[in-house]
Amino acid sequence: MPLLAVNNLAKNFGSVRALNGLDLTVEAGQVFGLLGPNGSGKTTLLAVLLDVIRPSGGSFLWFDNPDETHARQRIGALLETPNFYPYLNAEQNLALVATIKHVTNPPLQSLLELVQLSERRHSAYKTYSLGMKQRLALASCLVGDPDVLILDEPTNGLDPEGMIEVRHIIQKIAAQGKTIIMASHLLDEVEKICSHVAIIKNGKLLATGAVGSILNRQPTLEVGTADVEKLRLLLSGQTLVRKLERMGERLELELSPGRLPAELNRLAFEHGIVLDHLVLKPSSLEMEFLEITRQ
Amino acid sequence: MKLLRLLLIEWRKFAPNITFRVMVVLYVASFTLILSLARLVGSNFKLTANGQSCNPTADLFTYPKNWQLLAWIGSWPNMALLGFLGVFMITLEFSNKTLRQSVIFGLTRKEVVMAKLAWVIMLALAATVFYLVLGMIGGTGFGLPSAGGLSGFFLQAVGYLLLGTLAGLLIRQTALATLLYLAYVMFLESVARWIFYFAVAKTRLLLFLPEQVLSALTPLPVPESVGPMTRGLALPLSLMEASLMALLYAALFAALFSNRILKSDL
Repeated sequence: MPLLAVNNLAKNFGSVRALNGLDLTVEAGQVFGLLGPNGSGKTTLLAVLLDVIRPSGGSFLWFDNPDETHARQRIGALLETPNFYPYLNAEQNLALVATIKHVTNPPLQSLLELVQLSERRHSAYKTYSLGMKQRLALASCLVGDPDVLILDEPTNGLDPEGMIEVRHIIQKIAAQGKTIIMASHLLDEVEKICSHVAIIKNGKLLATGAVGSILNRQPTLEVGTADVEKLRLLLSGQTLVRKLERMGERLELELSPGRLPAELNRLAFEHGIVLDHLVLKPSSLEMEFLEITRQ
Repeated sequence: MKLLRLLLIEWRKFAPNITFRVMVVLYVASFTLILSLARLVGSNFKLTANGQSCNPTADLFTYPKNWQLLAWIGSWPNMALLGFLGVFMITLEFSNKTLRQSVIFGLTRKEVVMAKLAWVIMLALAATVFYLVLGMIGGTGFGLPSAGGLSGFFLQAVGYLLLGTLAGLLIRQTALATLLYLAYVMFLESVARWIFYFAVAKTRLLLFLPEQVLSALTPLPVPESVGPMTRGLALPLSLMEASLMALLYAALFAALFSNRILKSDL
């Protein structure tokens, strides 16, 4: 049974359709990335799943259990920017979260150590830098040792060092076998952290599956010859090539899965075409993403 | 047990807050100060007629009117400070987005409503206990207040707190919500009432408006010497009428508050 089942979920803000009949399934143990451009509906989806926004239609079910209170105690979440009481310190804020989550004697010290905030545990939240706030938010997600973590753009607004720190913490948490649902518009982040991904645009699900299958890393080949058009005509009918595009005096192409550049070179030579340029370009993750979201 | 947990959540939020602490100190100080001033002025007030001097307000400081006077004095900090606390306990959450965050952390919307209502009841109870203690320490007469008087004070505290809470929920900005709340309880309702009274209908129903009802729970006691002069004036609400209406208003405010929290996006 799925850990989360989302069925035909919709949310309208006036005439704007933020979620448009979205279906999604997340299994236990997955590190699930919600990938999409800004304004695609990722945060709205998470806000609906966390009950801070009421859906306009559709439904969702956590842990195959309609008991909301029970489900919510098993989820730790960070949605958009972290929000805490500015006059309370880290310990007081976390103690409040623990009371909300029915947790008695929470291991606050070890949580603060995990997010490297133990030295500033007595400082008021309002004195924290954005990175420290984000790390405290991560610690708050872990109060009560939840089964599921929901993280919305967890590295948003952080400097490179802060991003690395936060990613490192998330990877540590993922290594403990927890399910993580993470929204991001950063492809690199999703690729580094997530095992599965769903690509969302305009509130619609465009693709979902394992990261490797969705964000195909097939390399791109750039080839050149004296008669580019002749080569293009030759290749356009071949199963060897999956995608083909003329870029001036060069051809950019993508080989079918499992095929090798050497086969292309041989084929061209057998047809009297001598390649004077053959460059293997690593596939851009951004290009893959753009291609899916352009559909 | 669940209610205790919800109260603990509210306590952990507000107890360390400077504004909350200042308001509590102001409540205690202003209540005590107004009582002291009233006693000072009242005890020195003398009227001389036909060569004889007397204090026409003396009975206000003896049992049982001393409790009524104390309740009336308390109605001012109730209106201004408890009302503000009602506003503040909501606007603080919205300005820091912590109400939404509490739901994100796992509090259900029902629990959010229950926590706030329980906190309102606790604050009103604390104010009523203070009223009782202040009366017993600083009162001039003996005996306890009537059950009606005590419940009237408590209901008034609940009413102002809920009215402030509702203003905070609708406006969401502390300064603006406080301004609107104070304007309503101090003059907007009175102005509207008088306009309606003179321009539309001279009806007693106007006494059933929220501020009129809450004020009527702690009426200014009339000294015996002034009693005959008040004959023929429009009858105010009885304590029973005011209490019933206050209960209805409290239920209405609580229902509006619950409806808003349960159904709208946070």
